[in-house]
Amino acid sequence: MSLRRVLVIARKEFTDVLRDRRTLIFMLLLPIVVIPALLMIITSFAKSQMKERETRVLTFAVEPQGRVLLQTLAHRWMNDNMTAFVAVSARLGVEAFGGLDDLSRVADRVQALEDAGNEKGGVGDAAVMAWVSAWRDLNDDQQQMLRDGGAVSRFLDQVRWEGLDKLPAADRLPQGVSLPADLPGGLDDLRIAAAITARDKAVHAALYVPPGDIDQWLNVEPQSAVSLPITILYDSSQSLSREANDRFDGFIDALNRSEVRARLTAVQFGRDFVKPMEVKEANIASKGREAQAVIGGILPYLIILFCFFGAFYPSLDLTAGEKERFTLETLLLAPVSRVEIAAGKFLVVFTAAVTAALLTTASLAFTFTYGILPEGATAAFDLHFEVPAVLLTASLLVPVAALFASVLLTVALCARSFKEAQSYAAPLQFLIILPAMTALMPDLQTELKWAWVPLMNVSLLMRELLKGNYLWDFYAITLVSMFLLSGLTLWIASRVFRRESVLLRT
Amino acid sequence: MPASAELVVARGLGKTYRGAKGATTVATTDICFAARAGEVFGLLGPNGAGKTTTLRMLSTVLTPTTGTASIDGHDVVSHPDRVRAAIGFLSGNTGLYPRLTPREVLAYFGRLYGLPDERIAARTEELSRLLDMGGFLDKRCDALSTGMKQKVNVARTVLHDPHVLILDEPTAGLDVLASRTIIDFVRRCRGEGKCVVFSTHIMAEVARVCDRLAIIHKGRVQFSGTIAEFRQSAGDDLEEAFLRVLERAA
Repeated sequence: MSLRRVLVIARKEFTDVLRDRRTLIFMLLLPIVVIPALLMIITSFAKSQMKERETRVLTFAVEPQGRVLLQTLAHRWMNDNMTAFVAVSARLGVEAFGGLDDLSRVADRVQALEDAGNEKGGVGDAAVMAWVSAWRDLNDDQQQMLRDGGAVSRFLDQVRWEGLDKLPAADRLPQGVSLPADLPGGLDDLRIAAAITARDKAVHAALYVPPGDIDQWLNVEPQSAVSLPITILYDSSQSLSREANDRFDGFIDALNRSEVRARLTAVQFGRDFVKPMEVKEANIASKGREAQAVIGGILPYLIILFCFFGAFYPSLDLTAGEKERFTLETLLLAPVSRVEIAAGKFLVVFTAAVTAALLTTASLAFTFTYGILPEGATAAFDLHFEVPAVLLTASLLVPVAALFASVLLTVALCARSFKEAQSYAAPLQFLIILPAMTALMPDLQTELKWAWVPLMNVSLLMRELLKGNYLWDFYAITLVSMFLLSGLTLWIASRVFRRESVLLRT
Repeated sequence: MPASAELVVARGLGKTYRGAKGATTVATTDICFAARAGEVFGLLGPNGAGKTTTLRMLSTVLTPTTGTASIDGHDVVSHPDRVRAAIGFLSGNTGLYPRLTPREVLAYFGRLYGLPDERIAARTEELSRLLDMGGFLDKRCDALSTGMKQKVNVARTVLHDPHVLILDEPTAGLDVLASRTIIDFVRRCRGEGKCVVFSTHIMAEVARVCDRLAIIHKGRVQFSGTIAEFRQSAGDDLEEAFLRVLERAA
């Protein structure tokens, strides 16, 4: 084999494929432009969807007396907490007078301060930082009260009440809907369930509150206190119905906490009385580290997939494409050996695959670092990938690209035309997607036995490397396994390139 | 080299294709002929007679199942590399790289034949003048007409100045003008003392350019001799002579 002739072939094939629009699209345009754009669109779409869901007015079906009771409960919360609420919120730079609007404004501020405090070690606007530290100085009860204000206002602000009697009658339940056996009799079950699950989603949840004087319920002697049994009917298969359940849950939690505080004060017990155990959660991971763990799972998958895409079109173009254009026979007549031809073509496809994978990595890193900002964040994720980790990750691309290039060249060479080659090669991506996706399964540990499974080992190892875990034994086995496999496929490719029945099949 | 040197000698070339499930197809059996320097040797036969298989064995794309051949003194089985360097091959459906220009195509094959870059440039100029390709030497091949493409193919075939030319139905699918280019080219090559093996199923082309011919039918040589001898076998009517040979084989 003469290296000079291999390079002559490779050089010509490079010129050729770089003038091919399909190759350029998959090798350059897709990684550099399309992926970041797509990611940004998906993220911002998801964000706006979430915002839309959170601000959406939801309809609760309830009997009039139940509605009055819930509103009375909300007023109780405000009466009990408002003085303290106004005082505490002033320390965070929000002017509050005690209206429902104030509750949500303060809750938004609290959220913003918490986010700001989490970003980059708390460097930022001096006034904001002063409020951040004021927020941190509040005790748990005070912090909880401000958050509860948000929950109360979120429920009451965006609610539409609907009388139970207004719901259309129904004689049967939709498929997959079943009613609990112990529903209170006040609910006209079928109608409500049908309304919640109806296509137009006229009602998002139904509430049943037993009749009676709320003050009597709540202001009982401590020994004879009984929980007020409220029932909520919702459809967990619908996101808005779930949201209704969550909002109501937050509302009731807030009310419960406030009532418990009031009761404890009345009997002169400290708040610790209802909390025999108290857990202080301290998450030691920064947001950047959290993001890195998530991205560490996605990156290997995308790198492997785009490595394949990068190899796809050139490999088809240089084999089946040459047959289709009737140029292969001429090439076979030149004084070059078939192994030299195979080697030249392999070199080009291999380079295209590595290029596509590297560009994907670079453009994703760029997108995650500068492009996609979480709502309200002042700076992007603080990602750092260590240089040795990145180099080791890149080294794994060598056997992966060699594997893809040799397999695709072999498969495509057996086809008579470009189209036929496409139909042979396209299903291969399903073989790749599954092992490549393993890094997305956070519970799948890097046990050494997985190091023998091609592609899966690369995917898992890349994830660990990007998190900064250097698993040398896993790395060594992965290299052995991948080089054995790609060596085998290369050998097969060189054999197939020598078969005249395959080369001349047109 | 002496004008009578036998540059192409086929010695009992046979090719059997193995199909799926052990089925075999005999494409050619015991093909023997010799073509000399300075002559055009015609390989005449109906479609499917085994002409292309024979030429592919001569040009080393296919390995013969039985027999062998020598080209310019090199054996096709034991030294395929030397044979490939010694021949120029052209067929009617030879394609060009659509995204490259004729100049790039010539440079590519020149390098594969091991020619130095200056020699490639000089030959490109020379052939461009000879074949009148100056107007499209730097256009992409996918923008060229069939006639232009065939000129580029001709240039590629003789770029390395081979002693032996193997032309497999080189005029198939070409119009009158483009065919004319090919016929002129074949004559010029003969004038330069090259040995041209020319396959066709068109009798008239044989009459125009061939000195000697072999008729292949059903994978065997049915007739071999000079054009004059062939004419005699049917009272000057070549078409009639061709049909008679085919009928005899049936």
